[in-house]
Amino acid sequence: MATNRLTRNGIAMTGLVIVAFYLAIIVVSLFWLPFDPVTMDTQHLLEAPSLATGHVFGTDEFGRDILSRIMKGCSVSLIISIFATALGAVFGTFMGIWAGYLGGRWDHWIMRVADVLFSFPSLLLAIFVMSILGEKTFNVVFAIGIVYIPQFARISRGAILTIKSNEFVRAARSNGASSSFILFRHLLPNILVPLIVQVSLSLSVAVLLESSLSFLGLGVQPPAPSWGNMLSGARKVMVIAPWTAIYPGFAIVLLVLGFNLLGDGLRDILDPRLRNVR
Amino acid sequence: MSDESILRVEGLVTQFRTEYGLVKAVDGVSFELRRGETLGLVGESGCGKSVTNLSILKLIQSPPGKIAGGRVIFQGRDLLAAPEEEVRVLRGKNISMIFQDPLTSLNPVLRVSVQIAEALQLHHGLGKREAKAKAIEMLKLIGIPDPERRADDYPHQFSGGMRQRVMIAMALSCDPDILIADEPTTALDVTIQAQILDLIKNLTARNKTAVIMITHDLGVVAGMCDSICVMYAGRIVERASVDDLFYDPKHPYTRGLLDSIPRVDRAAAYGRDGPERLYSIPGSPPSLVDMPDCCPFHPRCAHAMDICRSSYPPETRLEGSAPRTVNCWLHVEEKRR
Amino acid sequence: MIPVLFGVSIVVFFLVRLIPGSALEMYMGTQVEATPQQMEELKRIFGEDKPVPVLYVEWLGRLVRGDFGYSLRTGRPVLPDILARFPLSLELTLFALFLALLLGIPQGIFASIKKNPVGDVINRIIGLLGLSLPQFWLASLMVLAFANSRGWIAMGNYVKFTVDPLKNLQMLFLPSLAIGVGLAAVIMRYTRNSMLEVLQMDYIRTAKAKGLKRRVVIFRHALKNAILPVITVAGFNTGYLLGGAIVIEEVFALPGMGRLALYAIYQRDYPVIQGIVLVIAALFVLVNLVTDLIYALVDPRIRLDEGRK
Repeated sequence: MATNRLTRNGIAMTGLVIVAFYLAIIVVSLFWLPFDPVTMDTQHLLEAPSLATGHVFGTDEFGRDILSRIMKGCSVSLIISIFATALGAVFGTFMGIWAGYLGGRWDHWIMRVADVLFSFPSLLLAIFVMSILGEKTFNVVFAIGIVYIPQFARISRGAILTIKSNEFVRAARSNGASSSFILFRHLLPNILVPLIVQVSLSLSVAVLLESSLSFLGLGVQPPAPSWGNMLSGARKVMVIAPWTAIYPGFAIVLLVLGFNLLGDGLRDILDPRLRNVR
Repeated sequence: MSDESILRVEGLVTQFRTEYGLVKAVDGVSFELRRGETLGLVGESGCGKSVTNLSILKLIQSPPGKIAGGRVIFQGRDLLAAPEEEVRVLRGKNISMIFQDPLTSLNPVLRVSVQIAEALQLHHGLGKREAKAKAIEMLKLIGIPDPERRADDYPHQFSGGMRQRVMIAMALSCDPDILIADEPTTALDVTIQAQILDLIKNLTARNKTAVIMITHDLGVVAGMCDSICVMYAGRIVERASVDDLFYDPKHPYTRGLLDSIPRVDRAAAYGRDGPERLYSIPGSPPSLVDMPDCCPFHPRCAHAMDICRSSYPPETRLEGSAPRTVNCWLHVEEKRR
Repeated sequence: MIPVLFGVSIVVFFLVRLIPGSALEMYMGTQVEATPQQMEELKRIFGEDKPVPVLYVEWLGRLVRGDFGYSLRTGRPVLPDILARFPLSLELTLFALFLALLLGIPQGIFASIKKNPVGDVINRIIGLLGLSLPQFWLASLMVLAFANSRGWIAMGNYVKFTVDPLKNLQMLFLPSLAIGVGLAAVIMRYTRNSMLEVLQMDYIRTAKAKGLKRRVVIFRHALKNAILPVITVAGFNTGYLLGGAIVIEEVFALPGMGRLALYAIYQRDYPVIQGIVLVIAALFVLVNLVTDLIYALVDPRIRLDEGRK
């Protein structure tokens, strides 16, 4: 039993370490980058990775240092993902809480709206929203955020419904507490657990969505580096310069894995039901 | 009832490793079961009765549980030492078990006839059609109306009492030597309880099937069993025939249990200053984690002596209409005198 | 379900109109100014002469009759173009689902019955890894790796199933795999967790007490119960596969619906955008419905209660 706790913590810890690593890179990138990520350098196009030239991950089709671009792109991707998830989480949770708490017709209609959003495959919805809002980097936050609203709404509504009928809510009501008071003091703490897990997992998907959008040219616009648009540019040249495709891809995979590990590990730790299941 | 011993449990020890420590759920349990005998295993929740029986069939989940010692002799073999395959062959065929909650103990996505027929196909080598026919027969035997049609139904389409009958049919389908009934009526309505118990009694009498009846309800035991073992904190504290136990209980715990049964005539006999309070044994059962060497009942016992706190009382043989033992320092003293 | 579809159509219609750079403007571009009459005519053609709600109702009416409008770029009717590409997208999705189930379920079962803590952790990490791979990256790497093997990569030389089934399957194998890997990871985890939960159930203990062989207990008793939530998850995610196909189709240059949608968005061809988004969303809802039906069929508790009514 004791070893089980440790491995579960291990998974979450590994995830946390990975995420912390990326956060550290962001901090570092604010002060120092090996090379300028944006300026083109026609002297050094598509150079293979080598410690001698200082281009540890090589250069891309415009001569820009890949490592620097990855580091810079880190900030962009993570910030977008965090904001998008926050947006979706806040709006979605808000919707879900009110739907669950009010019940009846409110519940019905609010969830219909969520269902409509839910009917679109997430990437499609994000692409669709981007095409409406315009291809500005900032809009990616909205596009991805909107995708998350129904998911958070469902989770928070579900959590609210299971505890709504609990005695302590009735008790608080009989003491004259108002709806919003009950909501925030009593119900919110109880839905924190599934929400936290969902946030972590949503962050991982957000990174994937943002890279996909950038890959398709509908996300972060060049010359600003995003791992997605780096891979898009790499498509033409990767046959002769595979490093342009490999490193940015790894950067994505590792970060997404980190968030997934964190979310999964947290779920194990926080979900009492799963505790006794090996 | 012959004197032939069909099952002998000797010094069974089963432990569970938990985050709080080592739980000795069964700590040295020994008893003997004779052919055709109905043995009652009585005790409060958590005293180890269910674990004892799961251990007999080696159905303990390991980890976190572990059968740490003892022997279970059946058909001349020690089941605990035997390889899993040998024990598996016996399950359902020679030793069957029925469980407390018939709703969760039956597979919700399999038809009832399939669940009964499985055992027949496996143990008696019956073909699919024959097994189903026999299953329908069993359903008729246990009193399910319209058995041909209901055989194709699923567990959730039966009522609680019916489901328990199905469990019984499943368990008895292969004519086992021993039936272990783990609180078969606890989850059922009182009116249904009597029916189920009667059913068990009738069916097992026919084939002289021995029964181990686990329960916390002394009323059940009184009607069904030939002899009784009283368990407390993972050990057997008293063993006697039904009559001996009820009319002359020796262990303070047994006496406490019997006194706890509310009785209409007692209130009338003792009422002086008003309604008599219902008796219950003071205190609560001990935690089974890292139990020290003492009599586990001593904190709640009105007759506790110094020696009870420091070592576990040995088994004392007493006179009785059937083999009779008790684990209590009181009776060790008496015998010495 | 119907109100949801309505909602979807409203969203699609109105939002598409919000796309900056209306088609009319693009058509005009840098052209010479048109006379007012010509403008009137153009506006009528491009549908900008009536208030929007009226346009919506008219559009809805045409939809029901199967008239999805005409592509602004090619002038061809939208619906037939979409339907022509539907078989490929369907095939990709089904193939991906098949591969995902094939990979995920056995792995999930295996992970739930093996009592090896180290192996279990490794299994989970691999599962999470499957979820973490960006599909377009995986697809790009596949194209890179198989660039020289003509049979495995279509790259514009797509062969239909009806023409040559084997070659078709060979071509779609890699793209389906790229799509399916993520789903396989999800299925594996759900299968594993579901099996673990089921194996703790009382009826499994009963089955063991009957002396049934381990294999029988796992497959006949446990799996049949454990598979139910997996059906729901698989069905639901199939809808997502339709979205994932966009990127894969682009990387592998396959002429499916997703690619059509993408290029329509690039080119602001909004009748096509409307049509495809609507079709895909409707399919998504349909798939969910079918999943619910399948679930009801498989779970006797639901099936028989329905029958009684």
